[in-house]
Amino acid sequence: MNVTLAVKQYISKMIENSGPGMKVLLMDKETTSIVSVVYTQSEILQKEVYLFERIDSQNRDNMKHLKAICFLRPTKENVENLIQELRRPKYSVYFIYFSNVISKSEIKALAEADEQEVVAEVQEFYGDFIAVNPHLFSLNLSGVARGRSWEPTLLPRTTQGLTSVLLALKKCPMIRYQLSSDMAKRLGESVKQIITKEYELFDFRKTEVPPLLLILDRSDDAITPLLNQWTYQAMVHELLGLNNNRIDLSRVPGISKDLKEVVLSAENDEFYANNLYLNFGEIGTNIKNLMEDFQKKKPKEQQKLESISDMKAFVDNYPQFKKMSGTVSKHVTVVGELSRLVSERQLMEVSELEQELACQNDHSSASQNVRRLLQNPRVSEMDAVRLVMLYALRYERHSSSILPGLMEELNRKGVSEKHCRMVTSMVEYGGKRVRGSDLVNPQDAVAITKQFFKGLKGVENVYTQHAPLLQETLDQLIKGRLKDSHFPYLGPSSLRDRPQDIIVFVIGGATYEEALAIYNLNRTVPGVRIVLGGTTIHNTKSFLEEVTLTAGAGQAERLQRAGGHPNRR
Amino acid sequence: MASSYPPPFEGTGEVKEGFLCPLCLKDLQSFYQLQEHYEEEHSGDDRHVRGQLKSLVQKAKKAKDKLLKRDGEDKPETGSYESFYYGGVDPYMWEPQELGATRNHMDFFKKHRAARIDHYVIEVNKLIIRLEKVRTLAQTTADNHKLFSVVAWVSDTDVPFCPDCGNKFNLRNRRHHCRLCGSIMCRKCMEFVPLPLAYKLTSGTREARSVTGSQSQSPPTGGGGNVSGMGSRRGSISSLSSVTSMLEEKDDERIRCCLHCMDTLMKRQQKLEEKDHVPDIVKLYERLRLCMDKVDERAPEYIRMAESLNAGETTYNLDTAGGLRMEVQKYYELIDALSKKILTLGMKEEPQPHQKTLQLQRMVRYTATLFVQEKLLGLMSLPTKDKYEDLKEKRKQEQEKRLTQERLVAQKRRQDSEKNRPAASTNGEAPQAPRAPRMTKAGGWLPSSDTLHTCGELEDPLLQQIDNIQSFLRQAKAAQRHDEVAMLEENLRQLQDEYDQQQTSLAIALSQRLAQEESLQQDELQRLEDRERGEREHRAQSQAPGSQATYTWQGSLNLTDTGSLHGEEEGEEEVTPKAESSPLSMRAFPALTDQDEESPPRLRRLGGDVTPPGGEGQNSSSLNPFEEEDSTPVEDPSNPFFEEIQKEHKEVANGKKEYNPFEQEEGGEEEQGQAEGATGNPFEVKEENNEGNPFKEASGCTPPGASTNPFEGEDEEAMPDVDVIEEDLLLQQIDNIRAYIFDAKLNGRLDEVELLSENLRELQRTLQEQKSKTH
Repeated sequence: MNVTLAVKQYISKMIENSGPGMKVLLMDKETTSIVSVVYTQSEILQKEVYLFERIDSQNRDNMKHLKAICFLRPTKENVENLIQELRRPKYSVYFIYFSNVISKSEIKALAEADEQEVVAEVQEFYGDFIAVNPHLFSLNLSGVARGRSWEPTLLPRTTQGLTSVLLALKKCPMIRYQLSSDMAKRLGESVKQIITKEYELFDFRKTEVPPLLLILDRSDDAITPLLNQWTYQAMVHELLGLNNNRIDLSRVPGISKDLKEVVLSAENDEFYANNLYLNFGEIGTNIKNLMEDFQKKKPKEQQKLESISDMKAFVDNYPQFKKMSGTVSKHVTVVGELSRLVSERQLMEVSELEQELACQNDHSSASQNVRRLLQNPRVSEMDAVRLVMLYALRYERHSSSILPGLMEELNRKGVSEKHCRMVTSMVEYGGKRVRGSDLVNPQDAVAITKQFFKGLKGVENVYTQHAPLLQETLDQLIKGRLKDSHFPYLGPSSLRDRPQDIIVFVIGGATYEEALAIYNLNRTVPGVRIVLGGTTIHNTKSFLEEVTLTAGAGQAERLQRAGGHPNRR
Repeated sequence: MASSYPPPFEGTGEVKEGFLCPLCLKDLQSFYQLQEHYEEEHSGDDRHVRGQLKSLVQKAKKAKDKLLKRDGEDKPETGSYESFYYGGVDPYMWEPQELGATRNHMDFFKKHRAARIDHYVIEVNKLIIRLEKVRTLAQTTADNHKLFSVVAWVSDTDVPFCPDCGNKFNLRNRRHHCRLCGSIMCRKCMEFVPLPLAYKLTSGTREARSVTGSQSQSPPTGGGGNVSGMGSRRGSISSLSSVTSMLEEKDDERIRCCLHCMDTLMKRQQKLEEKDHVPDIVKLYERLRLCMDKVDERAPEYIRMAESLNAGETTYNLDTAGGLRMEVQKYYELIDALSKKILTLGMKEEPQPHQKTLQLQRMVRYTATLFVQEKLLGLMSLPTKDKYEDLKEKRKQEQEKRLTQERLVAQKRRQDSEKNRPAASTNGEAPQAPRAPRMTKAGGWLPSSDTLHTCGELEDPLLQQIDNIQSFLRQAKAAQRHDEVAMLEENLRQLQDEYDQQQTSLAIALSQRLAQEESLQQDELQRLEDRERGEREHRAQSQAPGSQATYTWQGSLNLTDTGSLHGEEEGEEEVTPKAESSPLSMRAFPALTDQDEESPPRLRRLGGDVTPPGGEGQNSSSLNPFEEEDSTPVEDPSNPFFEEIQKEHKEVANGKKEYNPFEQEEGGEEEQGQAEGATGNPFEVKEENNEGNPFKEASGCTPPGASTNPFEGEDEEAMPDVDVIEEDLLLQQIDNIRAYIFDAKLNGRLDEVELLSENLRELQRTLQEQKSKTH
């Protein structure tokens, strides 16, 4: 159930299959991300892979002394490029791996192009997803929805991605989906169809309790991606943007050249691995310790390595030292930038209010606070908009809603028209009308008492009160209490026992806060392994873009429908 | 040797292990009971010693694991997630999984490719055959007509447009025929095969490669019409245009063909070229990888050695390790040099190589640098010779401590058991205490090695096994199978550990026995003799007895190396053994490495087989360095044996050559020579009836019934001397025990305190007795 390991194993198997000698890895745009997320350059260099090329790159020289490992998605363009490549081979041998199911006719076309017999291997290795963490994968697809239905080209791609996860993990699951979302149902059916069609592939050893695939829709919980985050990974993504585990720091003032883009990978960065899920305060302490540790190891300038044994000791420790210095400067820069942004944008205050909006039920205090913060000139446009969005989602139907007043406030603040419109889009995307679950106002008695007790106990940390809806959903799922009426099974059979291996997929994107929740579930609940996936992994910015795309298309659709069939209304 | 010796007074459990029955693991409190048990229970199944050995090793392993585990549990678990969370598993620690699903399309691919390849090969061969024909024709005849015989030309009238570019043929744009397939194309779409290329293609690779680049540029042959040549009148004769075209054409040195034929030919030519061309980078790279593989192979071996040496262990030889280090470093230099060469490949050439080639070279270099950085700088340094001595000394002391403590425990046991079986010891217990201190000295391991040997030359199954493994090890090393070597070494170490433990317990028994033996008398003789020699030959020696002792200790523990053998022998005479052997060993590298590696097992084996210099045990025993150290000057020139020793002194010199100093366990076998003859074997000694030795029985060789101890008779005579000699040692031992008592009190182990103080009292009493005797 470790997705990172699954991809790593695929790739090392490919390299292993090709035997010794210098190698080049031929990839397309997407597989490049897939590989680069799980392997660092130096790691893969050690496996004798010295060049990384794009199959569509024209700037490739004839290098007959290299073996080519092609890892490609089975798209039309890739197959076409590969055919061209085989007709005039630039490398001595080709080991071809497709990241998903490829049709017989395409293989035939390739075979006919291989006149020089350079192809040594044609296989399907199902690494068709981006393994962000061992329990978290993404497909890097944005704008998957058009209104309330799939963007037509992205449904097949999502299906491919999701089935490849199943194949890589060797799971042939039962499928449950969120009833309120048509997209979830469509995706479930589509996955089911592939499983039926490729039944030979999905013929795995049966486990006692079959694995479960749960398909959810982002629109059910639009609040989580709007919140500011305070755990390291989530915070970095929220404030700086993690893209395939890389952060672009080029906008940071006074950044050194080496640190313009840094990689944060838990696979090779011990500090990151240990602090991934710790909150900002703890990271501060840890980074201080890291610095102190580093200072201790660092040779003191004054002492200048006087004796030979000094020098020897230094050289002995040098690789660790060098590695450590890289880690230290990287994390110090990142954390420094985070804290700069926090104070510049007054994120503590903003976040506190966000959490209040998300978790508490006090309209008057909430509306007052929102108004007050909107008037604060240091609160950024984006944060202002997100506060209003949260308010709008939370108190959508409240009798004394001050939403129009807040919109005016936004206008006065000089927030652009585009952003103001997003508030409406957001309500349209994740408003009450759409939601299948009770995101904000729990109806059943148990949940109400729970919330009540939570209120009594007070909160440990005001910035991390919020628990994503997903956590509650999974909790119920594990306890076998998730209602079939809301999350029906696809097909006749249903799971009797407590589920063990669960794959959750969120259409419209997951978040790192949810990843953390899953991580904690994995650690605390015995016998359960959960993997979370999403069409992408959102921060507020990307989520707003997604919503704009979705809602924009939805509006156009409606307008069209309205214009086309005026009589229907 | 296990590096996990328990701290003093905590290892009672481990001592107990020494009395476990090796076959059924039954705990039998004392050695005597063990022996009895062994006779009763296992005399029948002794025949399959081999098979039992395996289980023995496994059990030794198990015991070790248990021990390690116990140690592990003692440590508080810190920082582990699992200690704070119950139940679930951190996704980073999910158990390993198998490779995901895959599907292979190669069979399908091959099926379709095969059909295609057949077609392709036929096409190519056809072209080549035609090319050959056209070429010979072109050389021999100018008659264009003959060209028809090669391939039928397509009729002009059938082709109104150029099939490649689609232009209409007319007076200006005339038709041309491909000489190889007969098809028609326009002038623009026409290609030429230069004759040299044609020659090369048709005759394999025999032709020079110089043509390679030039074939695409049509060679400019002299201006003006060239009608002579091969009468190359392109186009069909029937066509009007052919007459005029003759005027322009000058293709006497090449063969006209169409794009498609040209393409096929070019591919073929490229293939021919690549077939036996190995670029420089590949050659260099192959060597680079070879070096890296060597390092991967050697470095772990070295690290293991260095770790062991740095812990003061004596499993490996310092010089061997040094040599290995040099070897590995040499590989690193080679890697560095090769990768630099790869980096600069083609840099000076014009034009510069393709940027991807450069990138490749940079990457190879970068990888090599990473490799060197990671592995070379991770190589730990070896201790210097001096430091190594220190380490060994330290470790030795640790072992001594442990031994002493074990002895104490055993003593108690023995006392207990003797209460039950008073008949067992006929010689009385009095000498036990005075004898004991010897054990704690540097030579403390001696008796244990004695026993090894006495146990009946390799008849001890463990020893046999060790010996076997050593020979396997040697074979494996010769066969360069390093993984196996590692495994065997590990095995060997385990066996040795086990053996050491066994020997330790035996040693305890022996030490008690020995006290009753007149072998002590021999000891004294040696001492006297040594002293005599020392006085006669080197006055200086006596000034530094400590350092010498240290050195010889090393020598006898070290497995190897003629250098140190030499040093050892010299050490008897020179006081500067370190200075002498260290440069020697340094120089020995790296050429000697292989030899060195091989020698330990060989030497050891030798040691195992060697019968100590016969009945002249006394002579060789005089060489025992430990005795020398032990011998506090209690000189007695009037010693009745003195003359005898003097006489034998020359023989000693011979014996010296023979005796092998390189046994770990066997170290100091010279002494056991006589010990063996005497009583060394605790089994034999104890049980007068002598079926006693189970190991002997196991190998099916019944020892002579009732081995009467030849020295037994002298017992009484020797005793007083011995006691006198031990006086200093006694004092030391008393000090030691006092320290232990203090330690035990501090740690609140009252039972031990009691035991120790009893011991102390005994020692003091003995001391008193001695004093009264001497004065």
